[in-house]
This record gives sequence, C-alpha cells and structure tokens, in this order.
Amino acid sequence: MAVKKETFSNETQRDYRSNSLFFLTMRNLLKQRSAIVGGLILIILVLVAIFAPLIAPYDPEAVLIGVEDVKKRADPCIHLLGCPEDQPQHILGTDGNVRDVFSRIIFGTRVSLFIGFSTVGFAIVIGTFLGAVGGYTGGWLDNLIMRLMDVLLAFPSLLLAIAIVSFRGRGLQNALLAIAIVTIPVYARVVRGSVLSVKEQAYVAASRALGGGHLHILFGRILPNAIPPLIVQGTLGIATAILDAAALSFLGLGAQPPTPEWGTMLGSERNQVFTAPHLVFFPGLAIMITVLAFNLLGDGLRDAIDPRLKQ
Amino acid sequence: MKRKTLFVLMALFVVASLVFAACQPKAEEAAPAEESAPAEEAAPAEEAAPAEEAAPAEEAAAFEPLVVSADCKNNKMKEIAAIDEMTVRFTMCKPDPAFLAKIAFTPFFIYPQEWIEANANEANKETLLSAPVGTGPYYIESWNRGDSIVFKRFDDYWGDAAKTQTLVFRWATEGAQRLLELQSGTVDYITKLSPDDYETVQNDDTLQFLPVPNPNIMYLAMTNTFEPWNDVNVRKAIAMGIDRQRIIDNFYPAGSEVASHFTPCSIPNGCTGESWYDFNLEEANRLLDEAGLERGEDGIRFKTAIYYRDVFRVYLPEPGLVAVEIQTQLKENLGIDADVVVMESGEFIAESTAGNLNGLYMLGWGADYLHVTNFLDFHFSRSNPQFGDPIPDIYEVLEEASTIADPAEAAPLYEKANNAIREFVPMVPIAHGAPADAARADVENAQPAVLGPPDLWTFVPGDRDTLVYLKAAEPISLYCADETDGESLDACKMVTEGLYKYNAAGDAVPTLATSCEANEDATVYTCYLREGVKFHDGSTLDANDVVRSWDASMNAASPYHIGNTGAFEYPSYLFDALMNQTDE
Repeated sequence: MAVKKETFSNETQRDYRSNSLFFLTMRNLLKQRSAIVGGLILIILVLVAIFAPLIAPYDPEAVLIGVEDVKKRADPCIHLLGCPEDQPQHILGTDGNVRDVFSRIIFGTRVSLFIGFSTVGFAIVIGTFLGAVGGYTGGWLDNLIMRLMDVLLAFPSLLLAIAIVSFRGRGLQNALLAIAIVTIPVYARVVRGSVLSVKEQAYVAASRALGGGHLHILFGRILPNAIPPLIVQGTLGIATAILDAAALSFLGLGAQPPTPEWGTMLGSERNQVFTAPHLVFFPGLAIMITVLAFNLLGDGLRDAIDPRLKQ
Repeated sequence: MKRKTLFVLMALFVVASLVFAACQPKAEEAAPAEESAPAEEAAPAEEAAPAEEAAPAEEAAAFEPLVVSADCKNNKMKEIAAIDEMTVRFTMCKPDPAFLAKIAFTPFFIYPQEWIEANANEANKETLLSAPVGTGPYYIESWNRGDSIVFKRFDDYWGDAAKTQTLVFRWATEGAQRLLELQSGTVDYITKLSPDDYETVQNDDTLQFLPVPNPNIMYLAMTNTFEPWNDVNVRKAIAMGIDRQRIIDNFYPAGSEVASHFTPCSIPNGCTGESWYDFNLEEANRLLDEAGLERGEDGIRFKTAIYYRDVFRVYLPEPGLVAVEIQTQLKENLGIDADVVVMESGEFIAESTAGNLNGLYMLGWGADYLHVTNFLDFHFSRSNPQFGDPIPDIYEVLEEASTIADPAEAAPLYEKANNAIREFVPMVPIAHGAPADAARADVENAQPAVLGPPDLWTFVPGDRDTLVYLKAAEPISLYCADETDGESLDACKMVTEGLYKYNAAGDAVPTLATSCEANEDATVYTCYLREGVKFHDGSTLDANDVVRSWDASMNAASPYHIGNTGAFEYPSYLFDALMNQTDE
C-alpha cells in the first residue's frame, strides 16, 4: 500500500512538472530546429568566452613585433593548409599592430556577451520596474512614465546612444550605459502590457480579496506571470545590444584600444577592406554569428511561449 | 470653456502660421543672396569685358597710397606702405632674412582691396570664407559643401593659362577609397597614398607612383603645465623609453626615417647640434624612479592618455596604429598605462595648440617653406603655448638666430637651440615620413611639389578637359589668411597668389612681384609689382591691394581683421606677433 501511494505521488509530481510553463516551453523549443541551432551556437559562444585563455594561442593585446617573425596585417597562415612550417601560425592572420586576430576574436566573445547580458539585464530591471509600477498603478504616474518612454523611443536608438556617450565620454562603460538606457522603454512597454492584462485575472482579484498588499500582488502574483514575453524580448534585445555596441565601438565611442572588441577591430581596420579583407571579414562574421544565435533563439522562444503560435 | 480655449489656441496657431508665412519670402531672398555670392564673385572672371571697362575709371582716380603701421612691441612687422601704385615697402622692427620665404606662403597671398573692404565684415563673412577672389590660374565656380569644389580656368591669367578648363577638388578620408577611385578612373590624382598601397600602385601600369619630397616631422608632445610632465626627467624618460626605430619599421612607408632632430636635415641648420637620445630603457626607468614615479604592485607607475586625431597626414599615415604602438611601448617599457583617446580633428588641433591636453599627444608638421624658422620658430616661440610654458633657453636663441641672414653665421645659434630642445624635451621627435601621391598614367606633368599642392594648372589629364583631384579631407574655409588647415591652403593656392611663390625646388621666386629688394640688415624689403595682373573680379593689381591684404591679416587693429577663427596663427607666429596686438 505504501509502495502504491509513493508511485502515485511520483507520477503526480511528474505530471505537474511536465505541464509547468518551463517544461512546456522547453518541449516546444526543442521541436524547433532554428531555435536548437541558435541555442547550440550560444552554448558554444559561452564556452568560448569562459575558456578563452585556453583556446586563444596568444594574449589578445600582445604585440608580436620582435617576438615572432611575422608581418603587420599578415594573411591567415594555417600549417595544415600548406602554410610553410617555418612561418608562425596565425589562423586568422595578424592585424595592423601585429596582434593575433584569432586570439582577439576569441577574447572578443567575452566582451560581446558581457555587453549583451549586462545591458539587457540592466534595461530589464529598470524597464520592468517602471512598466510594472506604471501598469499596476495607472493614472498620472502611468502616464508620466509611459510618455517618458515614448520620448526615449522617439529617438533612433543608436543616435540617442551616441548622444549619451558624447555627453558622458567615450569608453565601454559609458557605451553600455547608453545602450541600456535606450533599450529601457522596450521592456517597460512589454511589462506594462503584461501587467495590464494579468492584473484583471481572477487569481489576482482573489489575492486582493484575501488581503494581499500592493507589493505582494505586484511582485508576487502579477510579475511572475508577466515574465515570459520579457524573456523573449530580452533574448532578441541582446542581439540588438551587441550590434549597437559594435556600432559604437566602430565609431570609436565604445570599447577603446587595446580592448579586443569586434566593433573596434572592424573600425580600426576599415581602411584595409581591399588590401587585407580578412581583418574586417572575421570580426564581422563573429558579430553576425552571435547576433544570429540570439535572434534564432529569441524567435524560437517566442514561438514556444506564445500560445497563439503553438499550433 | 474648454472649447473656447481650444478656439483661442487654434486662432493663435493660425496667426502664428500667417506670421511665419509672411516672413518666408524674406528668408528665401536672403538665402540665395548668400549662396549666389560666390557665383557672383566668380562670374566677373568669365566676363572680361566689364572688368576692362572698369579699368579706365580706376586709372582716372588718383592713387591714394595706403599705409599700415604699428609700434615695435613683440611684433616684428612695423610698417607696410604703398610707395606708389606698383611699389610696396615692408619695414620690420628687427631683421628677418627669411622674409621672402615667408611671404611666398599661402596665408600671405593677395586679394583685391575692394573685395576685402566689402567682405571682411560679419555680414559678408560667408563670402569672405567661401569665395575668395585672387589672381590665380583658376577661379572658384562653386563649392558644393560635403562634395566638391569646382574651379574654372581664368582666361585673363597673367601667366601661362591652366591646361584644363575645369579643375575639381574632391575628398575621401579613407585611403582605400581614394585608391579605388583612382583605379576605377573617376579621379586623376590622389594625395596621401596609404603605405600599404605603395606596392599596389608601383605594380600597376595604369598608375603613376609619385613620392612627395615634403620635409616633415611627427612628434609626441607633452604639455609641461600638467603633472608629471612638468618634470624634465619624466619627459626625458619618454624620450629614451620609446623605441622609435620600431615605429618607423612597422608603421611608416619605405624611405621614412627616425628623427635625429625636430627639423629634417634637408633644411639648412635643421640638424645642427647633438642627435636625439638613443633608446635606453635602463636610463629611462632610472629617471622615472628618480622622479618619484615608482611602479605599483601591478607594475604601473601612473596613468595618462595619448591623444590624436584619426586623420591621415604625411608625417603620420596610420595614426591609430601608431597610438596603440606607443601605448604598448609605454606600458611594457616604462610601466605607464595610457588610454588612447581619438579626438575630432578641429577640437584636437584647438586643444593641443592651446596647451590644454593633459597627457601625451601625437602631432606633426609639414614644411610650409624651406627654412629652419618654419619648424623651430613656429613651435618653440615665446607666443606658442602648445607644449605648455615656452622655454626661454630655446626661444631666446631662436629669436636671435632669426635675425641672421647667413645660414653659416646662424649655425652656432641653431646648434644651441637644437641642443636646448634636446635638453628640455618639450616633445619627442619620432619620424620624418616619406609620403607619396598617385596619378593615372596618362596624366602628364604630374609632379608633387616640395611645398604645398602640386601645380595642378600644369597637369594634362590625357584627352580629358577636367582634372579631378582627390584629397583626404574637405577644406575648412577658403580665406587662407586665417587658416592653418592644409586642405584649405591647397585649395587657396589654385585661386590666389602672393608676391612670391615656391618653385619646384621649394625656393621662393617672384610671382606678383617682379622682385623684392632688402636693405643691408634685412629690416626693409621693397617689392615691385608685376604690371597688368588682373584679379578674377576684373580689377587690376596695385600696391594698395597688397597693403590691404596684409592689413587684414597682420594688423590686429584693422577693421578688416576678420577670418575663420580670428586667430591668424601664421601671420602671428611667423612675424612673432600681430601688429597692434593687445597684451591679452
């Protein structure tokens, strides 16, 4: 009897788990090939970022003048593909300052992922708070917050980011802050929309009837149910943030030399597009792959979470 | 009530709209007037007839010679006087043996007296800055901002007429784009070839590779009014702690060399005195230790910044790469952690020349005239704050040397000045670059000049009647009395001329003057003007044109002393100070 009871309990638990939002989402996500590809690329990128010192053959900031017999802006040299053995191997070549491009791209993964996650993380925290407060309280506060968000949205995001960086000074930190600020309205709107729909649900009314305080209802009942669209938006937003950061760095406003950042790498060698195309091709490819990964995953998550797209 | 308010607001809006609409025609009228001004100025050049008609009237009027004078304070120029219609006399407070070399420089070129008097004011400043009238082989047909400047042949030019009817100045900041345009045949001549493209051009039969023999210097400067750059030992440590040969080997084109002195050796007295410090890490680090700047736990002594502008210059073809290289060397060799800061070009020049940059900055200089004063007097004069407080041990010797005409006689003083520069290290001379231009193979007479732009009016671009000249940047303004921007000076040289000009070897030879005679101690120069020289507006050159042009640039008290920035840097630096300049 006791054994039977335990079995029943485990099955119930498994059913409950398998029907939870997370498992449902994961199940739906795994059905989508593009999302799997995006996820796999992202996992690889994260691993590359974590193990960059082990993967990169050189210090990304090390200038190899006098260290090796290698030229400035040397073409890629891979021994397996016929590059002479007596020539040092630089599989993606060297840049204008005679640094190993491959190592810089590997370490650039760290910078780009850090940019993506930190800016979107910051924007989500602030945007969620503003959207939730606005949506829940309504009235003049909601109006004030959302009009402020509208003003921010009225500017092209990159232009606004450039303005903020110009005001605060160039550098990666200020670029991150600028990108985070210009993306806040997106999250504020998403959360506000969710809160507006969720706060009318019966279980919120029940919680209120049971004497739940505003903070408890907002952060304990409403927000957890408003999070799924935020995850989708955040995943897609990381791709945009990485692109914006690369654009700022390309313009010389983001990461400063010698930081191995893909946009900076592109910007500093943009003049060599015809004479040494590998110097702009590989950083560009790295940006493209990373952005593609987040976009594929974001699309997949949206399809997996949004019940209207389930069928 | 609300509706009433709404109606009132609407009525106000309608009234405001009407007011704006009423103002509109005025604005439209004003705009074309400003825009058409250059065309109007240029137009008379095409119409030679009205100019000829005007000439008798000019001749009929009695010539009233202009005189501009000043007390001798810090300024060198004392008086500029029209002696008669075709004679001008320059009187100086102290001897100036380099006077003729200086007046051949673009900022001292000549404009019509009437044109200056009509346009050197705030109301017509736009015309002054964008549509100069001169005596040059071309006049300006249009300046399409952001795109091009179109010049047309001046048919009444006093010398050999330009070979092409039309000359077009265009610009592209990227070296790759300039080369691509040349290869595709959309331009005939490009300046400032990227070092990486030298081989490409040399191996291309459809192109000409044209080395530019312009003497130049790239230096790493420090402003001695900031810490720790106020300590000469710290500056010396930088001088010894940077491997300059490594910079030349990796970032400069073949033919470039490490600077042994600030002035290139091709200029007389340029490299008298001791050569610059050798690369000596041990001594450099010892000096920094002595200065109390010891390494921290992370091996860093102190933090600073390296400022530069991302603009291709003959003395610095790849500024970004060199900045990172210096950043690397400072950290590895001396334990100095420097941020690389790229600045907008205009802001960089303004801040660096005013001595406002706290840190190191990379700047350079290309010769304007082949005299050592062009390098040393400009940079180390008592009135130049770009390295911080000017150093008396340097500028006092330079002032004395600048009064001696004979290079051999002046040599000991320049040796002393060069040694003082080495001793006090206001900056670290890095490199003398070896720049090159390129042209299509069928462009005849394509020959870069030692100084300034090539004589484009002598070029024959195959069977085409338009010569397209692609530069690295757009000119800032075209009134070059108050310009230091090289791109502006190049464009001015197509349109305006001076009493003298530089020939292919860089020597000053008469142009609008037939000759200038100096007195014994080189304090008075009397210049005789060429007869029958016409300006683009049809007027004829006379001595008053020369006096008024110099008055506008050199005389701070003149009502016509108006320009792009108002600084008139070249007239000020090359003649110690402006005439009638107040102490401030």
